[in-house]
Amino acid sequence: MFLVHLWNYIRGYVIIIVTGSNLERFINICARRQILLWDIVRIDAWSASMKASLRGFRLMRPAAKKSGCRVHIKKKCGLPFCLYKLRRRKGFKVGLLLFAFLLVLATSLIWDIEVVCSKPELVPRIMEALEAENIGRGSFKRGIDPKKIASRIVLNVDGLAWAGVEIKGVKLCITVKESIEPPVLIKNNEKFNIVAERDGLITRMEVYAGNALVQEGDTVRKGQVLVSGRLESKNPDFGTRDVHALGRITARTWYENTVPVSLVYTQRLRSERSHETVYLRFLDGKLKLSGDPPFEIYETRTEDRFLSPFGIRFPIGLTVETYYEVIEKQVDLTLDEAIEVAVETARRELKAKLPDDCVVIDEIVKQTEDGNGKIYMQVVIECEEDIAALVPATD
Amino acid sequence: MKRGIRKFKRNGKASKEPRERLGEKLARLFDIPADVYGNRPKVTAIGRGEVLIENFKGIMDFQDGMIRINTSNGVIKVTGDGLSIREITSEEIIIGGKISNIDYDA
Repeated sequence: MFLVHLWNYIRGYVIIIVTGSNLERFINICARRQILLWDIVRIDAWSASMKASLRGFRLMRPAAKKSGCRVHIKKKCGLPFCLYKLRRRKGFKVGLLLFAFLLVLATSLIWDIEVVCSKPELVPRIMEALEAENIGRGSFKRGIDPKKIASRIVLNVDGLAWAGVEIKGVKLCITVKESIEPPVLIKNNEKFNIVAERDGLITRMEVYAGNALVQEGDTVRKGQVLVSGRLESKNPDFGTRDVHALGRITARTWYENTVPVSLVYTQRLRSERSHETVYLRFLDGKLKLSGDPPFEIYETRTEDRFLSPFGIRFPIGLTVETYYEVIEKQVDLTLDEAIEVAVETARRELKAKLPDDCVVIDEIVKQTEDGNGKIYMQVVIECEEDIAALVPATD
Repeated sequence: MKRGIRKFKRNGKASKEPRERLGEKLARLFDIPADVYGNRPKVTAIGRGEVLIENFKGIMDFQDGMIRINTSNGVIKVTGDGLSIREITSEEIIIGGKISNIDYDA
């Protein structure tokens, strides 16, 4: 019944009062002519109120004439009349059109990109591949061909076996599967030598295949052949055989760094002054709202603030870049302090240079002086590491 | 010969009424419900507040306490309190209100 009422409301109807001596005849004629009437209620002996559709009301005139009744409209109800009233309001119409336009526009954009991937380090590369295709947040869904993008991602990002791209509403969902790298196969019939990766003193040798040319305790230079892939038999008549040399050569290696000692030290200190630059973010776009920092030397910290009511992250937000002023101060050091600073610097630089697989065994700090009286600090780090490097034999 | 033709014609005219009955007979034979075949009225009363009459010819009288409806089987009179016609089309009429009587031959 509710649906019927709703339908009537949408189509529009009128409440009419019919007056006349022969109401029954009027109702019968209407019924016969397919004019739908409902909610007919007697008011008094001469009149009744009833509801009729708009179409029915238009066809009612002959019936009224025939039965000698008069028809008055008591009330007009329904959507068509409401819209008629609103027709004169220009702003309403413009707003309605604007709403429809914005709705269509908003639903035809990509608002969010979701990447499902078990290796987080791949995500930026996938995003780069998308950017190369000019796809980002805010681009139109229309020009996007999911199959094409998926193939582009697989082509441009290494280490992917498969990529699936799907547009779910206003969200671009990308699912990727990483490929598993095949292990490096060692073919026994290829001739490979083991050479030294860097200078060192050999402390331990484990040779699985090949002919060892050096011994434990030998000092080797970088590039020197340690294990040869050519096996020579003791009886020269049997000739030689080429193998793929395999082995672990652990050696002691040294790394050194020399830093001049300076009695003047530049100290960087944050002052209490800071400046905030605010950007308005919309999707991937940025709009600067306030000015640049008034400092020459500064450190920055960037913070994204998103509008997220009810836990839903909106693509609109602010980026606040805070600039902290830094003051450089020259400090005079005593000799001991200067040496300490120099050693610390040398050590820090050296640590960055060390290979990953080495184990630090010892550290030696030496003080040297050149002819002009300038003091240098030398830091030597002694490590133990595997220096075996496989090189295809050329001879 | 002439007489014979006349007789034949008369027979044809006379058989018009029984032929309708034949249709109803056929309907009964094939178990077709009576409300599907023909134009006899079907009165459905739901609770006390609603009476639905199908296959009616027209309304004869419409007052607050009494509605008379013409059908092929005669006049049906519905009496009650605060009667109204909820809906009326050429096939059916729904009467609402507090019904107290549904009378045939009234």
